Amino acid sequence: MKIRNILIILGAVALNTFVSLYIGESAYNWLPVQAAAESLLVDRLFSFLVTLGAFIFLGVTGTLIYSMIFHRAAEYDLSDGPAIEGNLTLEIVWTVIPILLVFWIAGYSYQVYVKMAIRGPMEHAHSHQMEAVSVAENREKIEVISKQWAWVFRYPDRNITSTELHLPVDRRVHLALTSEDVIHGFYIPAFRVKQDIIPNHKIDFEFTPIREGNYRLTDSQYSGTFFATMAANVVVESAEDYQNWLEDAAKRKPSAAYNQAAFEYNQELQHPHASGWQTIAPASPPVVNYHN
Amino acid sequence: MKIDDFKKINIEVERLHYDRLEKEPGRDWKRYFTFSTDHKVIGIQYLVTAFFFFLVGGIFAMIIRAELITPASDLVDRTVYNGMFTMHGTIMLFLWTFPSLVGLANYLVPIQIGAEDMAFPRLNAAAFWLVPVVAILTIAGFFVPGGSAQAGWWSYPPVSTQNPTGFLINGQFLWILAIFVSGISSIMGAVNFVTTIFRMRAPGMTLFRMPIFVWTVLSAQIIQLFGLPALTAGSVMLMCDLTVGTTFFDPALGGDAVLFQHFFWFYSHPAVYVIILPIFGIFSEIFPVYSRKPLFGYHVVAISSIIIAAVSALVWVHHMYASGTANWMRLVFMISTMCVSVPTGIKVFAWLGTIWRGKLRFNTAMLFALGGLVMFVFAGITGIMLAAVPIDIHVNNTYFVVGHFHYVLYGTVTMGMFAAIYHWFPKMTGRMYNEGWGQIHFWLTFLGTNLNFFPMHSLGLHGMLRRVASYAPEYMFSNVLASLGGFLLGMSTLPFIFNIIISWIDGEKAGNNPWRAIGLEWLVASPPPIENFDEIPIVISEPYGYGKSEPLTLDRPFIEVETIEKITLATTDNQVEINNN
Amino acid sequence: MNNDSIAQQPEFLPDINTFYQNSLHKIHDHEGHSMFGFIVFLLSESIIFLSFFAGYIVYKTNTVDWLPPGVSGLEVKEPLINTVILISSSFVIYLAERELHRNNLPGFRFYLIATMAMGSYFLYGQAIEWNSLEFGFTSGVFGGTFYLLTGFHGLHVFTGVLLQGIMLSRSFIPGNYDTGHFGINATSLFWHFVDVIWIILFVLIYVWQ
Repeated sequence: MKIRNILIILGAVALNTFVSLYIGESAYNWLPVQAAAESLLVDRLFSFLVTLGAFIFLGVTGTLIYSMIFHRAAEYDLSDGPAIEGNLTLEIVWTVIPILLVFWIAGYSYQVYVKMAIRGPMEHAHSHQMEAVSVAENREKIEVISKQWAWVFRYPDRNITSTELHLPVDRRVHLALTSEDVIHGFYIPAFRVKQDIIPNHKIDFEFTPIREGNYRLTDSQYSGTFFATMAANVVVESAEDYQNWLEDAAKRKPSAAYNQAAFEYNQELQHPHASGWQTIAPASPPVVNYHN
Repeated sequence: MKIDDFKKINIEVERLHYDRLEKEPGRDWKRYFTFSTDHKVIGIQYLVTAFFFFLVGGIFAMIIRAELITPASDLVDRTVYNGMFTMHGTIMLFLWTFPSLVGLANYLVPIQIGAEDMAFPRLNAAAFWLVPVVAILTIAGFFVPGGSAQAGWWSYPPVSTQNPTGFLINGQFLWILAIFVSGISSIMGAVNFVTTIFRMRAPGMTLFRMPIFVWTVLSAQIIQLFGLPALTAGSVMLMCDLTVGTTFFDPALGGDAVLFQHFFWFYSHPAVYVIILPIFGIFSEIFPVYSRKPLFGYHVVAISSIIIAAVSALVWVHHMYASGTANWMRLVFMISTMCVSVPTGIKVFAWLGTIWRGKLRFNTAMLFALGGLVMFVFAGITGIMLAAVPIDIHVNNTYFVVGHFHYVLYGTVTMGMFAAIYHWFPKMTGRMYNEGWGQIHFWLTFLGTNLNFFPMHSLGLHGMLRRVASYAPEYMFSNVLASLGGFLLGMSTLPFIFNIIISWIDGEKAGNNPWRAIGLEWLVASPPPIENFDEIPIVISEPYGYGKSEPLTLDRPFIEVETIEKITLATTDNQVEINNN
Repeated sequence: MNNDSIAQQPEFLPDINTFYQNSLHKIHDHEGHSMFGFIVFLLSESIIFLSFFAGYIVYKTNTVDWLPPGVSGLEVKEPLINTVILISSSFVIYLAERELHRNNLPGFRFYLIATMAMGSYFLYGQAIEWNSLEFGFTSGVFGGTFYLLTGFHGLHVFTGVLLQGIMLSRSFIPGNYDTGHFGINATSLFWHFVDVIWIILFVLIYVWQ
């Protein structure tokens, strides 16, 4: 009898492990394409946590459902269950194992975070050495200017501005994030990177795009009325195409770009909404070399 | 004295008591509209008021979901949409979850610890009557020029201090005022609860004989006491920035916008535990009753509540991984946040241990508790993912977070709240609810919650941000599902409302203890008399003694001298002889 | 219940009755509840100040242009006199409490009035200081935090003096102290609290410049 129980439990655990591993493996499909080196690291961690989470969730709900099916009280059974008030060994086990798990997860997450090295906003203040390294490696340096509600990208070496973020593939990018009014957030889901932009601070941010294509940059920190419109295209292209684009953009004369927020705001001025709720006026559409 | 005399006396005491109740003024529905100092009346006042605002917040939620059923911003203005999610969050937190749980605690804690009332009954009433003031201030936002606050329930500056109308009295101004008054009310409540629990326990009711619900209320109220003042400080500074032109949080003029986030989250993350801890308490009350087993590991469960309260003070920065926080902060707070899962896990396993091999009965309350537990486990797992910095950097401020905390706040808290209302409904009203409609309510809520909030996780993983009025067409499918779930949830409250109203008026009469539950509240009449107990009981055993057949209280083997005198005086009129040898 | 169990009770009865009476005594000790609740409230209130102090420290250490243009710092001498007076008043209110416990009402009133006078002088001194300063509430985070901290504390001093006034007037009501001394004990505790907060505030704002 006892051996049978142990076998049943082992079987259940094995099944749970198998299903969890399967779910963890399919977790990669729940995420957007992996377009930056950082996304590989984040997705692996995510898959790991999904596996672990699935194991715990299935374990707990499985036990619960087993109980619900097999431990129902019979209709006229008014008796009580066994008066078990606890079990010291079990209680120690389910305290110690989660503690170990927590440190394992935290340790792994920390490793991933270090490898990502996307840099916090405070880093540049006390790591001049790294600054020197980044210059030496000749990272692609781009300035990102955010305002209510537009993105402007400035390529300082060529003195080009654009409302589309062009990036060379397979090369580390160094962004200097700034905001002209409120807190905005720099977020490209396909890259798995995000950073709030605090006004009056220059925030350094780094990542490496690894896949050519078109992606979407959105404002990830709520910035007021037209928050949802504050998006920009991100184009990752080969080094050659990137150089061509820079050449092309440099030739163009700066002109006002289309801006969704400004467009909607002007429409509202002409046909005010019934609600009459006011909004902060958007910044005038950015004047840039390149826009589409 | 002989046994017969005891019996006589007891019968007489009960009859006297009954007479007193009959004469008591305002024992009808009107007392719920008065400045009553009875903790049970105040408890019901809180619960009903809170539920009304649950419906208001729910209507806002459905407007949000209706807007999001299509990618374009086409139902309401963007400003109105922003006002909707700001007010949805504010109302659901400050006018539904907080007051409803305070109401439940108000009703139960004094009875569960064997007290006649709260320590400060008038303060208690005053704290409740501040809630309508909060409600008026919140709703008034819709009637001032420029509309309600639109900066989200976080009200991060500088967005919250931009004030497009230029008026002194604007939506944001009223919002801060509402939060401030709500804070005063909560602190008054917290002082009252902590004092009541520490000083008003019945004889023999030691700390480790308190029901877990009392433990969790104590932990939650301690969090209020140390957390709320930080929010108050932050909101005072925000108010100064908004109205008199100081520059505390204005980066353009030397201020520090991120500091507000620290003030805000130092309270507002622990606030989640203020909400969830009493729900843990409710689970711990309900599972033993419907499993007919003692709570597994009572002592550990009790202590883990206090540990959660303590650790909650050290986790707030996990809301700011993507803000301008330093790297070391991100890592320290990642570990501290994950540590919360240990005491929480202990509770989950303890509930499993309680249910295991029990004699399960699936009444509505048990169904809601089980459904809440399953969704809480899910929310806990996504919570661990959010605690991991690299994953949070990806999903921070996306619908993944929205899905996660709605699994907590709807899937667990609101489900737990319903469980509690069904479980204690017979006690509060003296009537039984309709079981069939209760079960329909459960299934609609359970399906609605999952349909509404599960697709949000996928949206978030694909990068859809929260607080957007319009979104890219690729996100449409999951949004339609979520919206359908949202409307289903809206519908799901209808059977509840009808069930409660009809049962309250015309339900089957409930006995003192329809669930055969163990606890002081089940020893008194339903509904309990004005001062709860004929005489304060002596508690002689731990709670949840299912299957142990030991009494919870001493069965009146003694009698006070004063009482005897009183009874003698009273009964001589009635010509009842008392043989006092 | 059968007669056997009743028969055992005489030995057991007196003990449990004493225990019960003592417990009821504790449960109905309303003055004790009030004091306990008041202490809990003060602990919570102190967190507001701690938050302001934390904010002040963050600003002080991170702000580039801490002092507004044309301001060289704060004068310490007058505030120091003010500080000494406020702290001394803590001892005076203690004396008042002692007199009350000795049932010496005139002495109690004398010391209470003295405390009120010292508290009022502190407020007066602060008003003079505010008037003489060349920066305002909106002069950057320095001005903001300065007026916020001193103002919020001043509000507490004012509340303290007000409470003392109430205690003074209530001392003329016959039978006011029949139910205990909670009012004056709480007022006194509040006054000590306000003093301790001021010491920290003084160190942060005036000493650490």
